[in-house]
Amino acid sequence: MTPDQKLEALFSADRPPARDFAFEIEVARRVAMRRAWLTAGALVPWSVVAAFLLWALDAALTPIIGGLADTALPLAMALTLAGSAAVAAIWLTRRFSAA
Amino acid sequence: MTLDDPFSDAALVARAAAGSDAAFGRLVQRHQGAVRAFVRRVLGGDRAEADDVSQDAFLAAWSSLRSLRNPDGVRSWLCGIAWRKAQDRIRSRRRAATRDADWVEAVKASPGVHPQDRVALTAAMAELSPETRACVALCLAEGWSHSEAAVTLALPLGTVKSHIARGRARLLGALGGPDDA
Repeated sequence: MTPDQKLEALFSADRPPARDFAFEIEVARRVAMRRAWLTAGALVPWSVVAAFLLWALDAALTPIIGGLADTALPLAMALTLAGSAAVAAIWLTRRFSAA
Repeated sequence: MTLDDPFSDAALVARAAAGSDAAFGRLVQRHQGAVRAFVRRVLGGDRAEADDVSQDAFLAAWSSLRSLRNPDGVRSWLCGIAWRKAQDRIRSRRRAATRDADWVEAVKASPGVHPQDRVALTAAMAELSPETRACVALCLAEGWSHSEAAVTLALPLGTVKSHIARGRARLLGALGGPDDA
């Protein structure tokens, strides 16, 4: 075997397999992690805006509705939570669904 | 761009940039061999470290898919990213800590390959400069053209040619051939 052939054989023997599921899964996992952080980061400003709007709404409505607030507050909180979850789920599904 | 074929690199890049995990997974599947082989040879043997750098490269590629100007050249683009990641790793790592792992990797038996030759090749590759190793890894080991390697590594064509000539002579010398570098 000539040194040239040896070199070629050594390089061939060192080549990774054409498919490596472990490697592909690890890349997919790291991409998913990165995307989760990016998504969480992107939602922060909207959360701040939503919190500010709710605070402003609360301050504006308290003098008007007065006593109604005690009964309406739990219902409003539940509806807000459910609505936010639904909007976030729809947005995430559309944004990251496999095309 | 060859967007007519839904599984061409260009089509997969377009779909991956639009958010398709399946398309990006297909790109990883198609190019992982070339990227990992290149990084392994540039870093010199430690497969776990090379795979970590390769994964970093794919992650960086995922983040910047929209900046890819020529989707048909995705393999060169990926190897270019991997090259920059590997350079960062070479600068930061401590060689002594990985020497034993390199040796163990080098002596792992492969059919038709003598462990002594493998050790000699690993040692000779480690003595080359990172740029020479990268040129050797792309052109001698993977059969890339000189101009393709020049674009990927952002080096002048003449520099690539001289790196390859020097590297090849060193490697052949280590394997018992003439060393006229």
